[in-house]
Amino acid sequence: MIKAKGVYLEYRDGTKALNNVDLQIKQGEIVYIIGPSGSGKTSFLKLLMGIEQPTSGELTVLGKEMNKEHKKNIRQIRRQIGPVFQEFKLIPGRTAIDNVILGMRVLGMPRVLLNKNALEALEKVGLTHKAFTKVDNLSWGERQRVAIARAVARKPSLILADEPTGNLDVKNALRIMELLRSFKDENTTVIITTHATHLIENLNEGILLKVNKGSIQQESMGRDCNEKHHL
Amino acid sequence: MKNIIYNIGYFIKEGRIIFKLNFWSNILSLFSIGLILFVLSLVISGWRISTEVLSLIQNEAEINIYTDETIDEKSLKTVIERINSIDGILESRIVQKEEAYDRMEKVLGEDAKVLEYFDDNPFHFFIEARIDIEKIESINKEIKLIPNVQYVRDNREILIRLRSITRGFKILGTFFIAAVGISTIVIISHIIRQGIYNNKDEINTLRLLGASEVFIALPFLMVGLVLTVGGGIIAAVLLYTILAQLYAYIAGPLPFIPLPSFPIMVKSLISIILYISLFLGIIGSMIGLSSSK
Ligand SMILES: Nc1ncnc2c1ncn2[C@@H]1O[C@H](COP(=O)(O)OP(=O)(O)O)[C@@H](O)[C@H]1O
Ligand SMILES: [Mg+2]
Repeated sequence: MIKAKGVYLEYRDGTKALNNVDLQIKQGEIVYIIGPSGSGKTSFLKLLMGIEQPTSGELTVLGKEMNKEHKKNIRQIRRQIGPVFQEFKLIPGRTAIDNVILGMRVLGMPRVLLNKNALEALEKVGLTHKAFTKVDNLSWGERQRVAIARAVARKPSLILADEPTGNLDVKNALRIMELLRSFKDENTTVIITTHATHLIENLNEGILLKVNKGSIQQESMGRDCNEKHHL
Repeated sequence: MKNIIYNIGYFIKEGRIIFKLNFWSNILSLFSIGLILFVLSLVISGWRISTEVLSLIQNEAEINIYTDETIDEKSLKTVIERINSIDGILESRIVQKEEAYDRMEKVLGEDAKVLEYFDDNPFHFFIEARIDIEKIESINKEIKLIPNVQYVRDNREILIRLRSITRGFKILGTFFIAAVGISTIVIISHIIRQGIYNNKDEINTLRLLGASEVFIALPFLMVGLVLTVGGGIIAAVLLYTILAQLYAYIAGPLPFIPLPSFPIMVKSLISIILYISLFLGIIGSMIGLSSSK
């Protein structure tokens, strides 16, 4: 599903964002990427989406190589991804539901599914009552949830969520984490970055990737699974 | 493809949003393109009408060939055979002196009395030949080489003048099509490029969501088409008004000018203008799209 071997990423200005990343993620896995701000979490997701290509090393996503010489794979890969961008990237001037629907339109989903899937997705993030509000008039937390609804409505095989709880209160953050986790049950691979470690402390399944200054280390999950926290 | 069909409604809606983003500047562009296309359509009308008039007159193009009066039957036959063998002669026949007299009587009308002062029929028989006007020079040259031919009469002054008017329109028309084509394409491609620039964040998001380039381009293509085809419609309405006036003006006092039929003319001119505007819209939008990659 995802395979990285000796992957380096150096931006055009010389910033070394990722160093020698080796990892393997199977289909249907849930992956939490944690690390301080500026450590390279977003950079790794950019590689997976083909926004950047590895400076060196081998990277395979959904069975396709994502290196410089394989740029034509990128659109194919992106169509199978449900992306939640750190800065949302919603289309201004359109309603929440229009934004969610647009994510499906570009895939050529049949018209009859558009409204149904969009309403279902908005319901899952708890925003049904704001479906017909322009995203410009939503709070940051609400916009973040629209972005999440847009990603999941696409029925992707890979969800990439970059700090999806960054603007949410604890209650909504937990709800979103549980929602994203639930896609694992549909054999969707879910990758979530966060610097809010408290949100994953009491989770006991999935893979934990710790990013530090561009290096990625795999750690076991569920260290604390016996001592339940009350939030 | 199904992606496109499923989303036609969306493309139209997006096109409207893009159009509204620069509403007044787009409205102005629409009218400028309309006026440009109108000027073009006037030139094309001149070209088409003069070509039609010329070809109607050309069908009447004929020359009269006079021989020696004393020519015998056999030599006359040879002359006619040689005339018929010339390239550009459509048909020929002998007009006897009696027929020549009758014709002149008709032409003179009231004044035909003057003919009574002649004791004898003053006319001479001649050979009348319908010709292809394009070949009038070579025909003339060859006929003059035939023995026994004394004189050739033609109305080529008029025909040649009309022909040069038509050629003028043709050159002007070609020039205008080129000039109008280029300026429309420049305007449209600039508007499209501007629209893409104004929407570059949205376009980038669509790319990240895996949208095809066609999906991204279609709303802009629609705006380009609305501007040019809209301009074409404006030009067509203006042209219709002007042609209707012109026909009313010419058909009254100048009934002998054989104008082509109004409905046929207007229909063909309007469809030409609409096709040209559609074509320019597609080319202009394509250039705008590809130059802003
Ligand atoms: N487009 C870019 N050009 C140059 N440097 C960048 C770019 N994007 C990110 N960086 C740098 O790369 C490093 C990793 O950034 P990022 O992956 O965004 O971190 P995180 O998401 O973990 O906060 C940072 O030092 C950041 O400044
Ligand atoms: Mg980040």
